[in-house]
Amino acid sequence: MRDRLLPRLLGILSIVALLGAWEVASRTGALNPVLMPRPSLVGLTLWEILVGGEFLGPLGHTLLLFAVGYGLACLIGITLGLLMGASPVIYGLFEPLVELIRPLPKSALVPALFLFLGIGPATMVTVVVLAAVFPVLINTLQGVRGIDPVLLDTARTFQCSRTRTLLSVVLPAAMPMILAGMRVGLGLGLVLVILAEMLAGESGLGYLILDLQRSFQIREMYAWIAVLAAVGGTLAVIFDWMDKRVVPWRGRA
Amino acid sequence: MSARLRLSNVRKVYGEGSPDAYLAFDSISLDVAPSEFVAVVGPSGCGKSTLLRIAAGLAPASAGEVELDGRSVSGPPPGVVYLFQQYAKSLFPWRTVIDNVMFPLEAAPRSERRSLRERCSEYLKQVGLAGFENKYPWQLSGGMQQRVAIARALAAEPRVLLLDEPFSAVDALTRMELQSLVLDLWRENRFTAVLVTHDVEEAVFLADRVAVLSHRPTTLSEVIEVGLPRPRDHIATREDKRFLELRHHLMEALLGRLAPVAA
Repeated sequence: MRDRLLPRLLGILSIVALLGAWEVASRTGALNPVLMPRPSLVGLTLWEILVGGEFLGPLGHTLLLFAVGYGLACLIGITLGLLMGASPVIYGLFEPLVELIRPLPKSALVPALFLFLGIGPATMVTVVVLAAVFPVLINTLQGVRGIDPVLLDTARTFQCSRTRTLLSVVLPAAMPMILAGMRVGLGLGLVLVILAEMLAGESGLGYLILDLQRSFQIREMYAWIAVLAAVGGTLAVIFDWMDKRVVPWRGRA
Repeated sequence: MSARLRLSNVRKVYGEGSPDAYLAFDSISLDVAPSEFVAVVGPSGCGKSTLLRIAAGLAPASAGEVELDGRSVSGPPPGVVYLFQQYAKSLFPWRTVIDNVMFPLEAAPRSERRSLRERCSEYLKQVGLAGFENKYPWQLSGGMQQRVAIARALAAEPRVLLLDEPFSAVDALTRMELQSLVLDLWRENRFTAVLVTHDVEEAVFLADRVAVLSHRPTTLSEVIEVGLPRPRDHIATREDKRFLELRHHLMEALLGRLAPVAA
């Protein structure tokens, strides 16, 4: 217990030290207090935002957009990855296309998407899907490829049909890899949802952070960045929790 | 009596068509009668496991034929269950023990599920795993994992059970326990068993007949009647004069010091 507690305390210490240094630097004028307001003041603003429930609207907006985009990315990535892993024909059909789009920084596609999807939710969802789908797809494919042949032979000797093998053997066996891909996709999706809101949004955390910066409400801007950091951290914790429950055999079988 | 499982002139070439193709084995013919227990022994690398995979319909033969009850085998036929050496990789880690055993029965209609589940509990009891239904395979020891695989094999009600060095990865005592367990189950369920192993004592202890594969180029060099009384016992049977004779002979054959048959 103590072994795990100590590193955690040290981790908190480093954050406290950084905020403390910032606080001192801002008070003494070593940092421009207008551009880098004291963390204590930012904290106060953050408190007001949280207590007033003011954060719920933009947060809900961002989370909804993210959920739709990320959900679609997972659905498409897993389905296509399974099919590409199971069928050489489907693999041959999609592999060049995947390799063409995958290395492209997805943010580069935003201006093009504005042209035919308009400046709005359709573009934003598409960007999130494009960002998150590839890690899920590639990992699913590798997960399917990496399945031990003994497992597939077992299914064959028990007269398991192709569809049933895919759904009740291949899919769960690839799940540890799929979840690893989903974890990468989660981070990328969050980055792109904020970027999309900054470029095309009318609400949401990304829109708000940019808007506050433009109207020079610097303290509020930092407070909302803190909200965003909390969102990222919370999503990561939820993901870890889910991962442990979905693939408890990870590293043990 | 007609054969349950018949191998006729089975031949396997690895990497067929490529320049470094080589002949694994050739002209292997073997008839296994219903409810018979046959062991196949051979030096490592002679292709024993491949032969068994061909018998199971899991791998194609380069030439020759496999028949199950007179019908040619081209893919895994119903009623033939394969027990893998890598039992841990053969179990589904996302399923509980009982759900692993249920796997072969899930094509059955939902209305029968309940009674099938009870049957699977019964199989688990037979392999000594009563009370472990809701554990996961990775929570069990190696020997227990192989017991789960055996219970799952029983659930499929096999006509033929193919055993691919199933006890080679467990410790010596566990191995003996599992050998006795398989013999008991074989006696009760009357399936046909074909065991591939490099452990001559295991072959003699379990089988009615032992087929011996030669060094490369591999072929079937002889088939020996074991003729030891049943039920077999790890202490008494292993001290039997006949057991020691057979062990001696098979060791010589596998180590390449072939002596005249002392049958």
